[in-house]
Amino acid sequence: MKFTLHIWRQENAKAKGHFETYEIDNIRPDCSFLEMLDILNERLINDRIAHPVCFDNDCREGICGMCGLYINGRPHGNDDGITTCQLHMRKFKDGDDIWIEPWRAKPFPVIRDLVVDRSAFDKIIQAGGYISTTTGGVPDANTIPIPKHKADMAMDAASCIGCGACVAACKNASAMLFVGAKVSHLALLPQGQIEAADRVKKMVAKMDELGFGSCTNTYACEAECPKLIKRQNISRLNRQWIGALFGRDRKE
Amino acid sequence: MKLDSKIPAGPLAEKWTNYKSSQKLVNPANKRKLNIIVVGTGLAGASAAASFGALGFNVDIFCIQDSPRRAHSIAAQGGINAAKNYQNDGDSVERLFRDTIKGGDYRAREANVYRLAEVSGAIIDQCVAQGVPFARDYGGLLDNRSFGGAQVSRTFYAKGQTGQQLLLGAYGALSREIARGTVKLHTRSEMMDLVVVDGRARGIIVRNLVTGDLERYAAHAVVLATGGYGNLYYLSTNAMNSNGSAAWVCHRKGAAFANPCYVQIHPTCIPVHGDYQSKLTLMSESLRNDGRIWVPKKKEDAEAIRAGKLRPTEIPEEDRDYYLERRYPAFGNLVPRDVASRAAKERCDAGYGVGTGYAVYLDFADAIQHLGKETVEQKYGNLFQMYQKITDENPYETPMMIYPAIHYTMGGLWVDYELQTTIPGLFAAGEANFSDHGANRLGASALMQGLADGYFVLPYTLQNYLADQIYVGKISSASPEFDAAEKAVRQRINRLMEIGRVETRRATSLQTVDDFHKRLGKIMWEYCGMARNTESLTRAKQMVKELEDEFWKSVFIPGTANEFNPELEKACRLEDYFELAQLVIDDAIHREESCGGHFRTEHQTVDGETLRDDKHFMYVAAWEYQGHGQPETMEKEPLVYEHITIANRNYK
Amino acid sequence: MNIPKIHSISKKILVGALGAFLSFFLLFHASANLLILRHDDGEWYNAFCHFMGTYSIIKVFEIGLLAALLLHAILAIWLAVINKMARPVSYKKPTRSKTHTGSKLQVWTGILIFACLILHFTDFYFVKSGWVKGKYMTKAEKVVALNATQPDAANYAEQHGKYSAKGNWLTNFDKEDKAFLEAAGLEVEPDFYHQAREKFKILHIVISYLVFFTVVWFHLRHGFAAVFQTFGLYNYKYSRAIEILGQIYTWGVCLMFTIVVIGVYFGL
Repeated sequence: MKFTLHIWRQENAKAKGHFETYEIDNIRPDCSFLEMLDILNERLINDRIAHPVCFDNDCREGICGMCGLYINGRPHGNDDGITTCQLHMRKFKDGDDIWIEPWRAKPFPVIRDLVVDRSAFDKIIQAGGYISTTTGGVPDANTIPIPKHKADMAMDAASCIGCGACVAACKNASAMLFVGAKVSHLALLPQGQIEAADRVKKMVAKMDELGFGSCTNTYACEAECPKLIKRQNISRLNRQWIGALFGRDRKE
Repeated sequence: MKLDSKIPAGPLAEKWTNYKSSQKLVNPANKRKLNIIVVGTGLAGASAAASFGALGFNVDIFCIQDSPRRAHSIAAQGGINAAKNYQNDGDSVERLFRDTIKGGDYRAREANVYRLAEVSGAIIDQCVAQGVPFARDYGGLLDNRSFGGAQVSRTFYAKGQTGQQLLLGAYGALSREIARGTVKLHTRSEMMDLVVVDGRARGIIVRNLVTGDLERYAAHAVVLATGGYGNLYYLSTNAMNSNGSAAWVCHRKGAAFANPCYVQIHPTCIPVHGDYQSKLTLMSESLRNDGRIWVPKKKEDAEAIRAGKLRPTEIPEEDRDYYLERRYPAFGNLVPRDVASRAAKERCDAGYGVGTGYAVYLDFADAIQHLGKETVEQKYGNLFQMYQKITDENPYETPMMIYPAIHYTMGGLWVDYELQTTIPGLFAAGEANFSDHGANRLGASALMQGLADGYFVLPYTLQNYLADQIYVGKISSASPEFDAAEKAVRQRINRLMEIGRVETRRATSLQTVDDFHKRLGKIMWEYCGMARNTESLTRAKQMVKELEDEFWKSVFIPGTANEFNPELEKACRLEDYFELAQLVIDDAIHREESCGGHFRTEHQTVDGETLRDDKHFMYVAAWEYQGHGQPETMEKEPLVYEHITIANRNYK
Repeated sequence: MNIPKIHSISKKILVGALGAFLSFFLLFHASANLLILRHDDGEWYNAFCHFMGTYSIIKVFEIGLLAALLLHAILAIWLAVINKMARPVSYKKPTRSKTHTGSKLQVWTGILIFACLILHFTDFYFVKSGWVKGKYMTKAEKVVALNATQPDAANYAEQHGKYSAKGNWLTNFDKEDKAFLEAAGLEVEPDFYHQAREKFKILHIVISYLVFFTVVWFHLRHGFAAVFQTFGLYNYKYSRAIEILGQIYTWGVCLMFTIVVIGVYFGL
């Protein structure tokens, strides 16, 4: 297969970026998207055309959340429930033009080419996205039974890989699905309810502070989440927020 | 070099209790004056750093990715073992201990393994308290499933994403400590060297991957939790950035490297499909709970399938060879990984392979029939989806194709009972050390070991080391040792950057880092992979040496050292792999027996099982670095089994 | 000045709450409008308008409504500006994600609604304050009462006005009549029934109102379910019900408005 690639090139955070066009040929349909970029890079190096295209990637099996490219107008490319590394060239037509852009959001500045800095997500988690435990001194694991459907819902929310596709897809670059998934995961479990009110307040405040937009219920995040995390989690986040402001747990 | 494993006295079951009650501690006010460096944010690293932070130590933690949550522990699918006996099926600490020792083919240290089994239950408690959403049954209690090498159900799981959930739990605990200010996080930072001052590990040199700057960090102790070196084989189930370099630079500085030839080959991976392939994807071992592995009984059927003339579903039941069930009726499809891998290779080599010839079927038709599609979907849905995305085939309708691939390295830095390496003050945890899995790791034990080391072992043993360090005062990074280490790293990088830039060389003869890495991997897989012998190993050694020479002449790294430059990162790691590869081969040559993942074709039983030589090889081989290109020297740590009776590893 | 910090979710909840309040009003307005379709010379509809125009509690309500409308718009625009800032560099390729388009239009439909409201107010609401020309009416009994004290004024009223079907109202006054009658101490109020009947006979006005309702339809269709989401009431259990309810409400309100306008135009 043959493709025309339009790739965002930007030497470093301060440099001005631009699109560069590359032609690539002889790609097998069962080649993954990132392997296609590997082949391109091999050529860019060997033929001394340019510095290889930098892009984040690691596990290449859709779980680490490292990869993330905005391909032809969709984060992680034109398929549902996948990360960029799970996208295969068979999803494209021979001769296609492919536009590859980095995630675009104020809190995700570009580091180089297609690599962005997502440490904002870490900061949101650090603001409260955990249950405060210290090692040891915890009760036996079976002390608190948890209804299966609740545990399953918590698991679904917890499967977030922190790739940032929700932010990249959202027209407001909002991190509500990311925050909602974490808040939901913990709020659905009895262990997490103790700090629930405090958690949601701190995480939302941090999210706002970092410059993410707000949710306008477009649900592009839900459509692009590689782990198919549902928008109900955003609703639960809102509920938790209201609860934190007016509920029993508020500071008296 | 003298190896002292420091195993505490007393009966096996009391050793850890005895150790804890007599170890030295650091008083709370002094803890904050002590600095600890943790390299790696996987299960072992994150849990250790979080635990140290919670105790009150000053911790610096480093990872090469953009977030601690990306560490490759995240990709573990199947589960985590723990001797909870929630299923009332006869499990106990003793049984988990025995299974692990036997699974490791009697090449692991008894005391360490027992401690691992002993703390396994506490790990589950800890994780549940952190909010890890383990699978539960309808009564709301925790559910279990079975894994290879065990006859009980002791594996706790969270869908097919157990590693992810456990890591996120540890990442949460770590994040809390970062927020509290006890832990400082350094992302996109790669450890380039260990700094040893007066014989003790006192700091590290780090390359900031964004700017290319070299940075110094000093501490009273260094904990290495940087995973294994499986990517030596290029194609493996490891993440692209997983590497063995941090452990290797420590080895260069004097830390002994143990059992490097013990490499685990996982039987259920998606087969290789092309030479541009960058990595192999694991299909969880848990699939073997309900999936049945088979190849055609008739060679002509296998050929017809390979030619695309026959579909697997068209082969009648009586013409299928469920070779694991046939050979190992007691454990069936749930034999340990090394056994299952070799059996698959045996069938494929004999000409019964499907797909490209290097694949066997993992069939769920039976499971779907008796459990129903819905149950199968609930249990393995995300794995099936993953398979379908990669191969474009629907595993609900046609059997999956799988083949073994490099997955885990049992070998690693030699550590004593306290997880301390031969360099005082340098500790190694998780896959980076060699300690608990012997010659083969059982499924769902890696997560257990990583968390055991991080949550429940290091917080104790490290204090024992740090107790007298309070007299040393603050460690400065302005010492001549730091100067020298930083200078050496700079020189090393410059040397690599210069290779492709010597003007006399023609540009066309230059190759990329990946070219070399692929070739190295191929050599290792062909000649030092699932089956090895003196001849193949000697050949491999020669080839690796030649390849290394070629690398130093004609690798080309674009860009500069002072910028974000992934090619340079890869080159540094590959440079270490060349040395490591030679050590793996040396170790494999020296170990004239077959055990676990190390299969020497000269040493096998008549029906092709591993044949150990307990008389001559019941020891840990700890290698000491002697300089580049010099053969390493080996020290033996004899394995003394006081508690367990040595037997043949029999899964029939 | 120290502006209290309102977090993004709180702002959204406010926008949603105000929106919900406005939606209730809209439903009320739309149902009341159906009275226009009665051929009773405005007896019922004008009685309703009289009630709405005179009770003091409703006056408070009216101010609240206008304030809600303004605040709803201000907060929404404020959020939109912040949202715009969250992506300083935009994508080259427009999004192809499967999304609810309504939300992307929401700010724009909102602004359009504001524009249309000016038109609507010029047609009706401002008549009350006398800023624009319109039709007025007064209570017949008041005119009768006036006969005793100011017969001129009463005569004037009876000459220029028309009795409604049941004779409760004297209608058909214009702006000058209003000034005259008010000088005589009569309470003159807008005659929205006849006003509507007249306006909706004019084709371009009918069309502009239909456009208005379409815009409202878009705004409501997204807004209704979004309010539930924002209030955290949208969950796995009720998601379907909420969506259906949203459809019913949106179509209901918009169709009621449309029926009145089209009905009047075709002489229903």
